[in-house]
Amino acid sequence: MRTIIKVLYSKVSVVSRVNTVLGPIPAEELGLVAIHEHIGYGMPGSELDTKWWKTPEQRYEETVPKLRAFHEYGGGTFVDATGICNGRDVDYYKSLSAKTGVHIVACTGFVGGDTALYHFAKADVDYLTRQFVHEITVGIGDTGSRAGVIKVGVSRGGRMTDLDKRIYRAAARAALTTGVPILTHLAIDAENAIAIFDEEGLPLDRVLFGHVDDGVNADKTRDVWIAEQGGRIGFDTFGYETELPDPPFWARPRQERLDHFLRFIGDGRLKQVLASADANCSPLGWPGVKGHTVNYIFEDLIPDLRAAGLDEAAIKTIFVDNPADFLALQK
Amino acid sequence: MSVKSNTVNTVLGPVSAGELGVVSVHEALLSVVPGAEHAYDITIDRAEIFETLAAKLKDFRAHGGGTIVDSTGMFHGRDVRLYETLSRTTGVHIVASTGQGPEEKLGGYFLTPQTNPPTPWPAEKFADLFTREVTEGMVVPRVERRGAAGLVATTATAEGMTATDESLFRGAARTALNTGVAVSLRYGADAVHDLDVVLDEKLPADRVAVGGLDREDAVAAGAPLEVARRGAYAVLDHVGTEGGGHLTDAERAALVADLVRGGFGHRILLSSNATGVAKGHPGNDLPYSHVLTAFVPLLKERGLGDEDVRRILVDNPRDLLSVR
Repeated sequence: MRTIIKVLYSKVSVVSRVNTVLGPIPAEELGLVAIHEHIGYGMPGSELDTKWWKTPEQRYEETVPKLRAFHEYGGGTFVDATGICNGRDVDYYKSLSAKTGVHIVACTGFVGGDTALYHFAKADVDYLTRQFVHEITVGIGDTGSRAGVIKVGVSRGGRMTDLDKRIYRAAARAALTTGVPILTHLAIDAENAIAIFDEEGLPLDRVLFGHVDDGVNADKTRDVWIAEQGGRIGFDTFGYETELPDPPFWARPRQERLDHFLRFIGDGRLKQVLASADANCSPLGWPGVKGHTVNYIFEDLIPDLRAAGLDEAAIKTIFVDNPADFLALQK
Repeated sequence: MSVKSNTVNTVLGPVSAGELGVVSVHEALLSVVPGAEHAYDITIDRAEIFETLAAKLKDFRAHGGGTIVDSTGMFHGRDVRLYETLSRTTGVHIVASTGQGPEEKLGGYFLTPQTNPPTPWPAEKFADLFTREVTEGMVVPRVERRGAAGLVATTATAEGMTATDESLFRGAARTALNTGVAVSLRYGADAVHDLDVVLDEKLPADRVAVGGLDREDAVAAGAPLEVARRGAYAVLDHVGTEGGGHLTDAERAALVADLVRGGFGHRILLSSNATGVAKGHPGNDLPYSHVLTAFVPLLKERGLGDEDVRRILVDNPRDLLSVR
């Protein structure tokens, strides 16, 4: 299966590398990957509101046990999709990774134009490209850690704004320059996104169109069409369920999401999907969702998939092989 | 109101208003465009920043300056601990401000919150955020609160006040009413309109300083006199900046002299809008002492006496900054 995927998705790469916060690792070492997660996410400016503040002790207490459990369940790599201005804290991630043994991949880019602060909101495509390339090839701030993915996304409102489009275009150029892939927040308005990637000449297998399964947007997301164009599809809000005691507005009935996923892979698209929980270990600027963690993957999702008849090879494809192909630097 | 009993919130704690001396009310110490701290091409070396700011504050003091007001609010590079150290080291009183604006400089937390729909913050929430920076202390984000803010500062969008700008202005006015600190506003397109928004909150006009009144468009609209007539402080806050839509210093001096002759000497404030250290924007690299060294002589040439100058540089800002 792995060979087939390579043929389908990969250009020739001499050395397979993935940037983690503790340095590059071979893609073969990633293991089971949670492809779209957050150590802690907060909207820019939330740091000014003491309502959300936690002590460092509390942050570690909320985070370390989840990562240790992830590791013990057999999790290998945690991809943090927290954008530049959303509380991304690479030094913190380094300490978490070193102490728990979980590989952590940090991102460059923005969750959406509406999370880019003024300095970046006013920037042109060239500047944004340089910012992303620098964070991928030199490092993020003075941490020495290189970004392993580029985050882009659609602002609130359902349509890509001009700033969203500049960020997508800069991400495409940085992806082509550096070989890292792009991960999107939301896959609505995909026609505009794909037009930009096509104009820039970026193969769509370097893009994970995320959150196709979210409760607000699933009906408006052309997941099949995106897959037909060659994009990878992220069912990556697993666990945000209406059955939770206090579900967020983007929650969806558990069975409905699972059926959506099974229907999608049943149509021969197993190699194009990635799955994750989009959970916060310790949210920064919002209450978070009680009871929802990255370990939903092990505690609920994989058992549900097995119960639905998926074999171990299929599960390995979704959580190990597809992410390795996606994350490996390709130039 | 006795001057002796009044205090001003400085970064080192409350100071008797009579001790402020010459005050520059609209200046910036460390000025960082929101987000620039994450930029790949911007370095923030605090030791270097300290050295630059300390030299500028010592120059200000050497020319007779007593107090610098950093009127850039809570989200433009404000570094309270750095300002405490600077004040201790240089002997210059530093007043730091709460507040934010204009809308385009706000973080998404205030504009597209994680609610459905993503409704921007209303005035009352801004009032609460700013008020607690006075009553509980200014934030070092996600770490701690320090001393009380001495002023609430906000700015309207240059093309004209937006709905969220209005929430910021009303929130600033309510903060002033809640806490007794004054409001410093920088108008967008229409100074009198923007002032009226905070006055509509029933804030007494003498608790408001309106900046930018040495812009050519403000003068063309007669705004300096109108603001003073309403009882607010008219701040000519770009002393030393000529061109780019601003008066020359000679024209500024003439405007000050006109206002003094018209009986509004008690409603004028002067400042240079100097940027001690700018990150992510060009800044305005004037010495904080410019008003004292270059502009006061122009005022004297226009016939202002020592009493007039003292009122503008010492008494007016003292009254503005005194917590009511």
